[in-house]
Amino acid sequence: MEMLGIIFSNIYDAEMGELTKNRTVASLPFGGRYRQVDFTLSNIVNSNVTKVGIITKYYYQSLMDHFGDASDWDLNRKNGGLYILPPFASGVTTVYKGKLEALNSALMFLKCSKRDYVLMCDSTVICNIDFEEVLKSHIKSGATITVVANKDYESKDNVNNELVLKLYKNKVVDMAVNSIVNEGEYTGMGMYIMKRTDLIEIIERSVSHGLCHFEKDFLQRQYIAGNITINCYKFDDVVLRNRNITTYFKNNLSLIDKKVQKSIFKKSAPIYTKVRDEAPTFYESGCSVKDCILADGCIIKGEIENSVIFRDVVIEEGAVVKNSIINQGTVIKKGANLVNVITDKDVTVNENTVLAGAAQLPLIIGKGNIV
Amino acid sequence: MNYRSKDCIAMLLAGGQGSRLMVLTEENAKPAVAFGGKYRIIDFPLANCVNSGIDTVGILTQYQPFELNNYIGNGQPWGLNRNFGGAFVLPPYQRSKKTEWYKGTANAIYQNISFVDKYNPENVLILSGDHIYKMDYKKMIRYHKEKDADCTIAVLDVPLSEASRFGIMNTDKKNKIVEFEEKPKVPKSTNASMGVYVFKWQVLRDYLINDEDDPESSNDFGKNIIPKMLGDGKSMYAYNFDGYWKDVGTIESLWEANMDLLDKDGELKIKDSDFRIYARNYAMNSSTITKNAKVENSYITEGCTIEGQVKNSIISTGCTVGKGAVINKSVIMPGAVIKDGANIQYAIIGERTVVGKNAVIGENLDMKQNIRITVVGNDREVLDDTVVPTGEIK
Repeated sequence: MEMLGIIFSNIYDAEMGELTKNRTVASLPFGGRYRQVDFTLSNIVNSNVTKVGIITKYYYQSLMDHFGDASDWDLNRKNGGLYILPPFASGVTTVYKGKLEALNSALMFLKCSKRDYVLMCDSTVICNIDFEEVLKSHIKSGATITVVANKDYESKDNVNNELVLKLYKNKVVDMAVNSIVNEGEYTGMGMYIMKRTDLIEIIERSVSHGLCHFEKDFLQRQYIAGNITINCYKFDDVVLRNRNITTYFKNNLSLIDKKVQKSIFKKSAPIYTKVRDEAPTFYESGCSVKDCILADGCIIKGEIENSVIFRDVVIEEGAVVKNSIINQGTVIKKGANLVNVITDKDVTVNENTVLAGAAQLPLIIGKGNIV
Repeated sequence: MNYRSKDCIAMLLAGGQGSRLMVLTEENAKPAVAFGGKYRIIDFPLANCVNSGIDTVGILTQYQPFELNNYIGNGQPWGLNRNFGGAFVLPPYQRSKKTEWYKGTANAIYQNISFVDKYNPENVLILSGDHIYKMDYKKMIRYHKEKDADCTIAVLDVPLSEASRFGIMNTDKKNKIVEFEEKPKVPKSTNASMGVYVFKWQVLRDYLINDEDDPESSNDFGKNIIPKMLGDGKSMYAYNFDGYWKDVGTIESLWEANMDLLDKDGELKIKDSDFRIYARNYAMNSSTITKNAKVENSYITEGCTIEGQVKNSIISTGCTVGKGAVINKSVIMPGAVIKDGANIQYAIIGERTVVGKNAVIGENLDMKQNIRITVVGNDREVLDDTVVPTGEIK
């Protein structure tokens, strides 16, 4: 039984403000050297899915640049490989609002494939999951669709069309979208498996009825109407949901924790990303580094604490960086002081500049800015 | 019919066992030995080729080819996965008439004449797989063409005191080579050969065939081909190179070259993004430096977890340094695990080796003149509380 992968790259762009001004949420940098989509795509690749389509809407150049020929994910293949699916603009399609519409523009891709099952994933949920296990569970259940979900009670700001499932004896007995989660309930992780032919039928029927949201318009309606059965695959390892800037910031920093690292980065299922051939990171005498994760290519002379440092960052002597996310190519000059800051790519922070945000709402310095 | 041809292809001599690297090359050819945190020695000549616009590289090897073959793969990490050209690992193979190992550097090329002929190149670049340097071969090839030379040899100006360790090229005012001396006791000049040659392929081809017919010959470039061509009055020029270059054929020089990254970074310019050194990537997570760690004047590659003290050292991809461990003036090769409280001084720790708790390897020679490097080979286990004495190689 083979699966076809579909990744949604910019359904939830709006929640990330400045950071998604010129990129999809999928290409949002995460965890020191990755883009969010790397986790989703690596999970798919590590589950032996060799044909993957990435549905995009706009600002997808950064995504295309990131993937290149997809060889860093081993997806430069004859049979299958990676397909970027921009909006299929014809007379009847427009730039879409929801997943169903998005899938409609990928209809040809779905129809041309011969694989039995389709695996659909959002690119904002970070975890390390084996989809082959999910498929096994799906086939065994005989349900129309399998929803991957976990217990996550912290989430009060449930916005990204997340499903909340109530189970009784392992059967889904109630389902809500964007609802408050009560104890014992499961929150959807934006990962679904269903039969390819079923999905094609749903897309064709839904779009002709003017429906556009997969969760609300299809899953919930059809479930309530009793037309479909839902299987819930319970995932019990670490899940990081990047719903908005606050969670994105918190989740980035959580990767410094050993336990979180251990469950997201596994030797048996590595997370792939674009190879940039940076030299290793150099730590000068006199630097101070405490509880940080750092990618290659940096030069560290200053003081950093509890921060995530991406590739190619320079932190000059006397600079202090705390609780911050420093993106690729950032230069932090002498004597600058940063607390609770996210610097986007290629930012320069001038000498003795003081930047401070709040832990709940970090200060964001947009791409390429000089402050 | 005119076949498609290349201007220049490279032949990389990677055959040596590198026996002077001892435990580090037990199951690994010298060019595949780890260097500088995330590289292998062979990445340097390969990246030099790619950065010089050379997209076809034959890699000649006969010792433990598996590691090297596995490392090179289809050449994709270097952009050497080409339809016409690319990277090829060329071990000796069985033939209908005469089958033999590569007898010498020249014989290795001789046995692959048909490989080179396939690309019908005007010039062939001969390289060796045991030097650390960044060099734009394009400039050298341009010089070779300007001089209309049959052979151009890259030379480095070395201190007179060291000249007798190298092959020395004595040249006239126009840089034409008039004499070649292999490791002369009294050197006449300080132009040391770097083991980088450009030959007109048709000229070299004839010399290789003639050399093979000579039963007295040891089929070596330095001993046979170069002196023979000089004797025949061929047009041979020296090309002066003035960047960082180091032979890493011994434990000491391998360690020194690693330390040079820290002390003399300006020379190799490893971080120069316009001339990157490419390497196979192993999809490792970012490195974690915890609050108990202290890192000074060191390179740390991705995939590491550092909880101890690291000073003046190179920590390669995927290593772990435990709490209270101390590492000074050492090279920790990929995947090594240094457990809590271990003390490593002036040492090379091989790939995937585990150093037990409170083990002591080598001693601090910071103020000493005479430096003896302690080496633990690949895939070893140093048990808890063990002492590995200074200079031991195990």
